[in-house]
Amino acid sequence: MSITNKITVKRAEIVVAVILALCSIALMIKSAENRITWNAEENMGAGFLPFYLSLGMFICTVLTIIKFVLKRSPQSKDDSPFIDAEAFKYIAVTIISLVILVLAIGYLGIYFSLIFFLAFYLRYFSSKSILFISVFSLITPVLTFLFFEWLLKIPLPQGISEPLFYPVYDFMYS
Amino acid sequence: MDVFILLLEGIFVSFQPLNLGLLIFGCLIGLFVGAMPGLGSVNGVAILIPITFIIPPTAAIIFLAAVYYGAMYGGAISSVMLGIPGASTAVATVFDGRPLAVKGEAMTALTAAAVGSFVGGTVSVILFTLFAPPLAEVALRFNAPETFALMVMAFATFVGLGGDDVPKTIFSILIGLALSTIGLDLITGKPRLIFFNIPGFLHGINFLVLAIGIYGIGEMLWTLEETKGKVQMSKLSVNMKEVGRAFGALKKTIMAMNIGSFLGFFVGILPAAGATPASLMSYGITKQLSKNSKEFGSGVPAGVVAPECANNSASTGSMLPMLTLGIPGSPTTAILLGGMILWGLTPGPLLFTQEPEFVWGLIGSLYIANFFTLVLNIALIPAFLMVLRIPFAILAPVIFVLCVTGGYAPTQSLHDVWLMLLFGFAGYILRKLDYPVAPAVLSIVLGPLAEKALRQSLILSDGSMGIFFDMAEKPIAAIIMYIAIVLLIMPAFGPLYRKFFKKAQTT
Repeated sequence: MSITNKITVKRAEIVVAVILALCSIALMIKSAENRITWNAEENMGAGFLPFYLSLGMFICTVLTIIKFVLKRSPQSKDDSPFIDAEAFKYIAVTIISLVILVLAIGYLGIYFSLIFFLAFYLRYFSSKSILFISVFSLITPVLTFLFFEWLLKIPLPQGISEPLFYPVYDFMYS
Repeated sequence: MDVFILLLEGIFVSFQPLNLGLLIFGCLIGLFVGAMPGLGSVNGVAILIPITFIIPPTAAIIFLAAVYYGAMYGGAISSVMLGIPGASTAVATVFDGRPLAVKGEAMTALTAAAVGSFVGGTVSVILFTLFAPPLAEVALRFNAPETFALMVMAFATFVGLGGDDVPKTIFSILIGLALSTIGLDLITGKPRLIFFNIPGFLHGINFLVLAIGIYGIGEMLWTLEETKGKVQMSKLSVNMKEVGRAFGALKKTIMAMNIGSFLGFFVGILPAAGATPASLMSYGITKQLSKNSKEFGSGVPAGVVAPECANNSASTGSMLPMLTLGIPGSPTTAILLGGMILWGLTPGPLLFTQEPEFVWGLIGSLYIANFFTLVLNIALIPAFLMVLRIPFAILAPVIFVLCVTGGYAPTQSLHDVWLMLLFGFAGYILRKLDYPVAPAVLSIVLGPLAEKALRQSLILSDGSMGIFFDMAEKPIAAIIMYIAIVLLIMPAFGPLYRKFFKKAQTT
């Protein structure tokens, strides 16, 4: 049995509800670092709203868990896979490549990271030729640069590649 | 008469070269965004907001409203040609649009959709022009308690009318509100919910980070799973004879146009509703009232006209509470409202007196956009079909690039890009488990405004919550609060009603 068959909608529902309940408790604890009381003299403490909102979230997750236990929600009776094997490949590769992209942006800078991301993604999922992939992967970051840096004047992160752009900036602003 | 003059001035504003250029560009992008499976008005507007930072607010709202409008038209293209709704707002269009295409009458379906959208758009924008000024005048008398009550009602509408699992809906509202409290407290100046002492949390969570995460990354993951990059397109012959025949078929759709236009507008005004339920309701009611109700689902033009009229009409309707009350009527208008705050405007009735060019420029642009979108839609059908042939494996990474750059641009912080990814993945998982995500986006936009209104009200009342229920002092706030309470408890009576109804039927 593959991993995707083991993760059923039913299992996902209860696991997610428990995770959300734990997150709500963590939010309540974090909110309590500020005053969570409210009265006419002192007005509202900075932690009051986040604390009670998190408490409400916790109650909602408990209700979801109760509905699950009593089999009142459609998900509690659904033994089908949460995600099928073919779709899992698309989703997993996409998520991993996006995480690597953002990690790379911090180090390599956005433009070079985008080249590698696009080249990998297109090579992995599309049946396009190497030439198409190369041109597409190079043109997209160039257009991104022109749009953000030249038109909007918003500098995007360049990491260790920043010195390579100095001549371009000299040309743009001279 | 005053309204007529203001409207003419608004139309004049939207004809200024920059505004007109952006309007046409927005319509085109909207048509494209709406036509692409997995992308809708809300995704388009969320991803494009960062690029409006360099243009004046009036041009920005005209551009984004045109994107919104165009997306309503465009959604029908993929519903008919691929059998996949371009956006949730075009789900009902598939019911009869796809069978028409399968029968070889795709042009009839596309023409019905375009004309339906135009009629719905025109009727709703006229209703908008008539209703907006008096509603804004009433709203001008609102103070903090009334504003807070209105926001509670907006949240309650999701619970009462959203039709989703109630605990999950309330969870979604609360998490959006909780996220909006991150950062420095408005009154005490104390930092709140600064996880692991990461400084990025000090400036709070920009609503765009959540919106792009959920509607950009999350939606793309959802679409990748649904389509796995494969689509099957119907054949289409475009010639004048086909177009003429298609227009001829529309004679029998007058009732569908009326239902879609009026119902769509009023459903669109409701905060939880928006264009998707409006189009589904219009389809259902038109089918019920039609003499040929049995033919619905097998490919009748009225089945395309009704939802298309309604989704366009609802999109305009949802802007009415956004402009007059500062309460969004749909997820897309929630993002537009957040955009208004980013552009330095205060959403609400004061806009009508303080920023008439902005308000009437937007209203005027809706008339113009409606016309341009109809023309562009019909003229560019072959071009959109070419675009639809682009494999999703190519489109998806481009959208990811837009999401990453769009998530970075507003605050220029990689911290926000990480958060956006997190929200995207979480939104995808939660949506698969039927947690509605739209209330979270609405809440993160309204959260700071609601907190401010709540705290101001409590200062006015010396800390008494009674201010919201005092019929003598604050009748409007009290009435709105009681409506909100009814909406909140309404779902509890659903199962009881069904039980009673079943019992009555068996006896």
